[in-house]
Amino acid sequence: MTKEELSNTDSVSRRFPMELENLVDENTILVQRTLRSGQSICHDGNVVVLGDVNPGAEVVATGNIIVMGSLRGVVHAGAKGDANAVIIGFRLRPTQLRIGNHITRPPEDELSDPNYPELARIKNGVVTIETFNSTFK
Amino acid sequence: MGEVIVVTSGKGGVGKTTTTANLGTGLASHNKKVCLVDADIGLRNLDVVLGLENRIVFDIVDVTSGVCRMRQALIKDKRYESLYLLPAAQTKDKTAVSPEQMVELTEELKKEFDFIIIDCPAGIEQGFRNAVAGANKAIVVTTPEVSAVRDADRIIGLLEAAELREPKLIINRYRTKMVNRGDMMSIDDMNEILAIDLLGVVPEDEQVVVTTNKGETVVRDDQSQSGQAYRNITRRILGENIPLMNLEEPGGFFSALKKMIGLK
Repeated sequence: MTKEELSNTDSVSRRFPMELENLVDENTILVQRTLRSGQSICHDGNVVVLGDVNPGAEVVATGNIIVMGSLRGVVHAGAKGDANAVIIGFRLRPTQLRIGNHITRPPEDELSDPNYPELARIKNGVVTIETFNSTFK
Repeated sequence: MGEVIVVTSGKGGVGKTTTTANLGTGLASHNKKVCLVDADIGLRNLDVVLGLENRIVFDIVDVTSGVCRMRQALIKDKRYESLYLLPAAQTKDKTAVSPEQMVELTEELKKEFDFIIIDCPAGIEQGFRNAVAGANKAIVVTTPEVSAVRDADRIIGLLEAAELREPKLIINRYRTKMVNRGDMMSIDDMNEILAIDLLGVVPEDEQVVVTTNKGETVVRDDQSQSGQAYRNITRRILGENIPLMNLEEPGGFFSALKKMIGLK
């Protein structure tokens, strides 16, 4: 699939494999612990956290960020301005989400406590959160 | 060789000093030789809580700077023969002692005591670094408030960086009624964020204030719930396997009556 085909299709299920392939080429690091308040990871590439990101902790990556645990802190994907970067959390409850030049925080009145993986990315210029499920494969 | 345990929290006012005093007293009541070290130089409290303030002649800075020998600075407790206090200096500040000196000091105390419990000052600066330097175990104290839990999380990260693995958690000032109403963080809420072993939960209790103000420790009070909690924690430190106590607050006369006739 070329870049053009990619932009022509709206189907998420067909777009995602390309992104996954891109992930493979790039420089990815594994963080094999929980990030606690005051700890931060800054990386030129993708970051996968095998643990939680607690409130007060920070992950900054120029690529994508995947948290295989609860994401409660601040994460910044695509830190050099890549608006195609995505953030995936097994429990997405961040203090703040940043993708590229976009900064968002969860709505204050809405109490969501998801117990399933979610994916955040920029769609039509806004950061959107959607359920991450097997149809992405 | 003795164990060196640092009692720390990050945030102030959550009960580090009270915990240190009660655990020390509790361990001494099990005939262990215990030395309590007040590392809060400039803001010393542990001596006041133990009612030993008027016996201080030399302090920790006098020991590390060679003004006196260790034996001269140690103060024996009023109630237990095997409990000693090494008081902090009040007229100096945290820079009066270095981490290297603390390691030296704890090495010397280890030879003589079964347990050395260090009362860490609030904060993450030099006072904290001094207090953890000689320790080989850590107890993190928190209260069920988001600010205290956040600081505890920060402290656990710093303890890991200081090679103090597997710190244990004490939750202080727990109010079951508020938790049941959903107005306070529950044990599970805190465990979800901090994810370290729970050493015990101490309920909110007026008796802690009453005893502390008299220079006594609540662990010696057989009637109080908080005293029971500290006695349980003491036995857990000694390796016994004791389940968490029932934290339901005692109800009034009518609930007791209802219980009796089987309405509840």
